[in-house]
This record gives sequence, structure tokens and C-alpha cells, in this order.
Amino acid sequence: MTAQPVSTGTVGIVLVSHSAELAAGAAHLAAQVSGGTVTIIAAGGTDDGELGTSAAKVECGLRLAESGLGVVVLPDLGSAVLTVRAVLEDADPATNVVMADAPFVEGAVAATVTAAAGGDIKSVAAAAEEARNARKL
Amino acid sequence: MPASYEQQITLAGDLHARPAGALAVAAGRFASAVSVTASGSTADAKSVLGVMGLGATSGQHITVSAAGPDAREAVAALIAILGEATKVGG
Repeated sequence: MTAQPVSTGTVGIVLVSHSAELAAGAAHLAAQVSGGTVTIIAAGGTDDGELGTSAAKVECGLRLAESGLGVVVLPDLGSAVLTVRAVLEDADPATNVVMADAPFVEGAVAATVTAAAGGDIKSVAAAAEEARNARKL
Repeated sequence: MPASYEQQITLAGDLHARPAGALAVAAGRFASAVSVTASGSTADAKSVLGVMGLGATSGQHITVSAAGPDAREAVAALIAILGEATKVGG
């Protein structure tokens, strides 16, 4: 698990990937593009470092990313969604977490930029989900 | 009727990911609607993916437009960022 520079005052981001390297790389990229003011937690790989997801890493990531304004979680592939859902089912009902249905890299960058600009949890999640409509070419 | 402003700048470098991010973060802090136009394509300046999707390169003319209560400040801030951020690339 890799934490980018921690700050307060923005919505936090948790990137859940089957690959620790993919989660860490996406977190690094999103931090660079957004100016490094948002807490982005990479929760990638299983507990023993293999490809897969870890409920413990997701649960820890949600805690680390929360600074009072809520957390937006981005899963990379479908089965990461199952892990996040399982964690959220066991979480404190007061937990302010939204899972965004978004392309992983583009969604991470768009969500983090919107968080850096002071967006609330709803607009950060919306920015991630709108990423599916952004054309590269 | 909200005020609207626009201003043009010639890019000193390509509009890569980091300058696009800086632009979108700054734009998102204004209440006004803000857009950037390059070569006939217009993007919401608050959308980093939209700004990157313009594919704006060094030497291109970019128009920043804003409409809303802080339109003048938004245009000034974004023109300044475009002037600075595209110098270093990224």
C-alpha cells in the first residue's frame, strides 16, 4: 500500500487494483496531474503481494483516505468491486464512501483533479464516472 | 445576466497532463462556467480529460472563455497558468 502526500480538506481517493504496481502507478500519476494536494491511497494486490485484491488493504485505505469529507473508491475490474462491497457491508454505517463505476486510470485522474479543486464527494464521483465519455483521439 | 469574458494566448509548449491538471484544478475553484478552445474544439476547463483531449500543442492559439460571477478572475487565472505551465512541459 502506497500513500501519496497526505493533506486535509479534500475528498480522499482509494484506488483498488488487482495489481499493486498498477494501483501505485495510477496513484502516482493522479497525484502528479492534480498537484499533490489530495490523499490518494493505492490498495493493490493481495496481502501476500500476488495479483488479486485484499479486503484488509481496502479497509485500511478507506481509513487512511478519510479526512472528514468522504472517500471515492475506484475498482479496476469487476472482482475488485466484490471486495469493496464486502468491506463496505462490514463498515460503520456512518462511513461516507462512494464507489465510482469508471475507467481506472482516467477516472483516478479526473476524480483527483476534481477533489483538488475542492469538489464534494458527489462531484468527485461524478467526475470519475464521466471519464468514460472522454475521448482521447 | 452574468458577465462573460474571454482571452487568447499562444501556447509556449504542449498542453500535457500536468499543465492540463493545473488548469482544471484552478478552473474548478471558480463558480463561473469556464471553457478552453483550441483549433475549433472546445472543452470544459474543469474537466482535465477534456482539456487533455484537445491535444493542444506549442504555438497554437488557445481561447479561455468564462461566464459567471467570477468570470474575469477565472480567465485571468487560467491565462496565467497556460502561460507558465506550458513552459515546463510535463
